[in-house]
Amino acid sequence: MPGVLQDLSDAMANAAETVGQSIVRVEGRKRLAGTGVVWSADGVIVTAHHVVHKESGIEIGLPDGSIASASLVGRDPSTDLAVLRAETNSLTAPAWGEIDSVKVGQLVLALGRPGKFVQATLGVVSALGQGWRTPPGGQIDRYLQTDVLMYPGFSGGPLVSAGGEVIGLNSSALLRGVSVALPVPTIRRVVESLLQHGHVRRGYLGVAAQPVRLPEALQEQLGQETGVLLVSVEAGGAADQAGLALGDTIVALDGQPVRHMDDLLNLLTGERIGVSVPVKIARGGQLQDMAVTVGEHA
Amino acid sequence: MSDIVRQLDDELAGIVAAVRLCLVQVRYRDRSLGAGTIWHADGLIVTNAHVAQRGGLTVTLPDGQTLPARLLARDPDCDLAALSVEAHDLPAIPLGDSRTLCPGDWVMALGHPWGALGAVTAGIVVGMGADWPEILPGRNDWLVASLHLRPGHSGGPLVDAQGKLVGINTLMNGPDAGVAIPVHVAARFLKDALDDERRRAQPEAHVQAAGDPGPRYI
Repeated sequence: MPGVLQDLSDAMANAAETVGQSIVRVEGRKRLAGTGVVWSADGVIVTAHHVVHKESGIEIGLPDGSIASASLVGRDPSTDLAVLRAETNSLTAPAWGEIDSVKVGQLVLALGRPGKFVQATLGVVSALGQGWRTPPGGQIDRYLQTDVLMYPGFSGGPLVSAGGEVIGLNSSALLRGVSVALPVPTIRRVVESLLQHGHVRRGYLGVAAQPVRLPEALQEQLGQETGVLLVSVEAGGAADQAGLALGDTIVALDGQPVRHMDDLLNLLTGERIGVSVPVKIARGGQLQDMAVTVGEHA
Repeated sequence: MSDIVRQLDDELAGIVAAVRLCLVQVRYRDRSLGAGTIWHADGLIVTNAHVAQRGGLTVTLPDGQTLPARLLARDPDCDLAALSVEAHDLPAIPLGDSRTLCPGDWVMALGHPWGALGAVTAGIVVGMGADWPEILPGRNDWLVASLHLRPGHSGGPLVDAQGKLVGINTLMNGPDAGVAIPVHVAARFLKDALDDERRRAQPEAHVQAAGDPGPRYI
């Protein structure tokens, strides 16, 4: 007699079947294929950067078993994401689930299409944390860790809720030894940037810096203990043109406090490129307000 | 919320208790070689070819009774073997349909990992079919599940969410993937094995079957 377990089993298998219609095989490197998720019906596919070695002549295995050719739109190694455009109009985008609905302990499936057919593994959401930065410097909106197993060829595949929504993209290359998924807001931000510019735009000042403790007088005046000291200023770079010099300590940018390197990197977003923003520095024990026109990271 | 979890727990316990009645040990003298699954009440037991590699095997039933077993058939290609014991009214496992399983479906494997009798591991179906270039050789159909098979699970049952047999555990692949022979493959193997057995027992019937296809009913 069918019971709760059969219902659960059916629900998970249905979720795998539904989302399976939106996942494709990505043959973009010599050996093992990867998995990709349909972003839009007109052929845009999002996958993991590390499974795409080629820029053109990439083969996409569609859910109906046919093969479409695709080319690279752009890639962002810092978040391990790549966007491809396949020559087909017959794709179906999945339902995307917002990160606010994700809870620790909920059941999730990881799906992959390393061969012709969809494969699935089961797990739970193990941890959900604040924003974090990947080792290569990518900004991820929320830390989303699961205990799902990544079989060969699962990279770039979706993390799916029991309700059949895609709540993240799995990558085995972001952190070693842990299954971390990219949450939907990060995917959306990176994909939109890749579609528009071919890469993820990051602001650039042309400085090397390190965090330092501020003199006590300034600590009291600013209400912050640290700032970032410029240890090198690139000649002709944005900071140089603005008059910033070796030995200056940045304490605020665009009205936001700069205490650590992460604060500064987080403020150098794509929207600030080409914009003149106020920068507050400590020079010779005195605070000064200047303006810098943020450059673009090559 | 906790109601559904308790319901799930009770149901799982019930399924496991029922399936355990159909789970046997395959032994040689005082050594346990693996598990076996009671296929038919009249003493037909199915296990792996790599478990039943020799004569002189015995089968220990869940009630502790140990019986001598006769090797009926063995096929190393699909890693199946059929054993027969002199017994009747054994609890045969209900058969499920491995061809309707999908990735994501719930499955459980029973066996005797490291000698722990009747142990259970649960997971989901990863995939089905013969297309496993990275994992498995050959052209046979396989059923791959995300669960922890260990030595001692071999020959034991893999059951679905209703406790029906969908596969025979055969091997582990890496720490976290278990491979089973789908029940439709096992059924075909047993049918061939039993047909051969009947032919050996009744040579006349064998001749007749080969020469005369018999009436064709419409």
